[in-house]
Amino acid sequence: MNKATQFVKPVSYPVLILVLFLIPLFTKDAYLLHILIMTEINIILASSLRAIATTGQMSLAHAGFMAIGAYTSALLVMKLGLSFWVALPLGGIASAVIALLVGYPFVRVKRVYFAMLTLFLGAVIRLIIMEWRNLTRGSSGLLNIPPPNSLNFFGLYNIVFDSKVPYYYLILVLMLITLLFLYRIDSSRVGRTLLAIQQDDSVAESIGINVTNFKVIAWCVGCFFAGIVGAFYAHFIKTLTPDSFGVLQAIYVIVYMVVGGRRRFYGAILGAFILTLLPEFFRILKEYQPFVFVGILLIITFFLPGGLADLPKLGASLVRRLKGPSVTHA
Amino acid sequence: MLEIKGLTKHFGGLAAITEFDMSIDRGEVVGLIGPNGAGKTTMFNLITGFIPPTRGHILFEQVDITGKGTHAIAAKGIVRTFQQNAFLPDMTVLQNVLTSCYLHPKSGVWEAIFNTPGYRKKEQNALHHAMEIIEFLGLDSVSDELAQSLPHGYQRLIGIAIALSASPRLLLLDEPLAGMNANEVNETLVFINKIRSVGTTVLLVEHNMRAVMKICDRIVVINFGRKIAEGFPQEVKRNKDVIEAYLGVGENAA
Repeated sequence: MNKATQFVKPVSYPVLILVLFLIPLFTKDAYLLHILIMTEINIILASSLRAIATTGQMSLAHAGFMAIGAYTSALLVMKLGLSFWVALPLGGIASAVIALLVGYPFVRVKRVYFAMLTLFLGAVIRLIIMEWRNLTRGSSGLLNIPPPNSLNFFGLYNIVFDSKVPYYYLILVLMLITLLFLYRIDSSRVGRTLLAIQQDDSVAESIGINVTNFKVIAWCVGCFFAGIVGAFYAHFIKTLTPDSFGVLQAIYVIVYMVVGGRRRFYGAILGAFILTLLPEFFRILKEYQPFVFVGILLIITFFLPGGLADLPKLGASLVRRLKGPSVTHA
Repeated sequence: MLEIKGLTKHFGGLAAITEFDMSIDRGEVVGLIGPNGAGKTTMFNLITGFIPPTRGHILFEQVDITGKGTHAIAAKGIVRTFQQNAFLPDMTVLQNVLTSCYLHPKSGVWEAIFNTPGYRKKEQNALHHAMEIIEFLGLDSVSDELAQSLPHGYQRLIGIAIALSASPRLLLLDEPLAGMNANEVNETLVFINKIRSVGTTVLLVEHNMRAVMKICDRIVVINFGRKIAEGFPQEVKRNKDVIEAYLGVGENAA
């Protein structure tokens, strides 16, 4: 266990974060920044989905909750003229509130049946967006969503969202806040409780853990961040159609998490990172993305059931085996 | 301490428990015995709120807890173990016990996220409490092992450790000796005595009659969901109904 962590320690987090902040200084390439922004969006989605999955529930409504955040924020800005900076958190809150409304009956249903319920919920959300034409303009979509209002720091420094760079920094900050929040939950007593619920909810219940409440909290927290990232997405892409939030999108988020490894916190991050970047560098992969994802998923489940996050551990044991018994003095 | 009045549970047309009365006093070790399928585990499920009763009442320290949620009943001090080896398989023994220390010092989600000094103090206390329980049950040598990798005897003890760490006042043990060898049985009996000596009341379901006779202050016998006998171990042993229930009535009896 310790050896495995030593294996990845050289890349320490502050350095990683610094590198992420410095990237726009070296390249202003819109395409590259766009991909990085999409990667960060997917990292938030996969990590927030993991928060739900820690209680043993798999949600297929994550794209739906992203849509709620996206449409809420876009409509608040377009119809009510609210500032983006108010609409963004409201997008997250709208998702969380709807999650809360369905939460208590939903979490009573377990495992694959929960997944089925969320599948339907995702479809219902999409259907509502499709049919509520005078609000959402249905399948023709919301166009020309305004960019975030420019930020003015005491008249000294003005940030205008006219290129990819400010978007990049905004999503980077959002991602870091999200990850910090989720990591704090994960590594605390609360995270341990969620894990206990995942492993055996009868035992958890028998020692006084309010399983239902914890499942609802995890579900709402996960959906909140999906809403936040949806709100960002709306003002970044500037066009929303219900098609952007289909079942396939929801499944991709699960694939990111599973391929990366859901047991470890950085698994979801790793999965989203690699699977978003990979198709961009090999265009052919992008065209056949569902096929490629199935292939990757099969390879992972057969050969690396713990996901990519288990690679360091595997590497460490391989190194140990290669070094042979001569170095067994410990 | 615990009072059960007219408890009845029907599963569809099947009467699993019928008009059951019993009471447990503080500090007792009470045995609940009966043949397979008599309704012992159903009683546990009813007392701990896993399933709601059809009729009847359960009072814990004069408070009606009938129909309350399992976690709420656990918070009041009734904690059970399970017939199967129930623990958190992917966690170490220490993590298992720590998780269940959850009830002990309550800490909120926000405290945990902001890692406040108060939260850290509670974490320290929980760790201390967990270590105490692990030492108490003699699990300290395996505290960093994964629960699922341990032999059966240890796994049964983990179940008890998890229950103990929720600080029960009434501990319900569901066949704690199942599958243990003679040595492990004796050790576990010592633990049960120790648990009693620190003031925890115990309700025990067990098939190992010798052990039950040895450790229980009082025994309640259940068959087909009805109480058929109650009393001191020696009385129950000689009770005609009990012998019949266990051995069956011969063809030419009576």
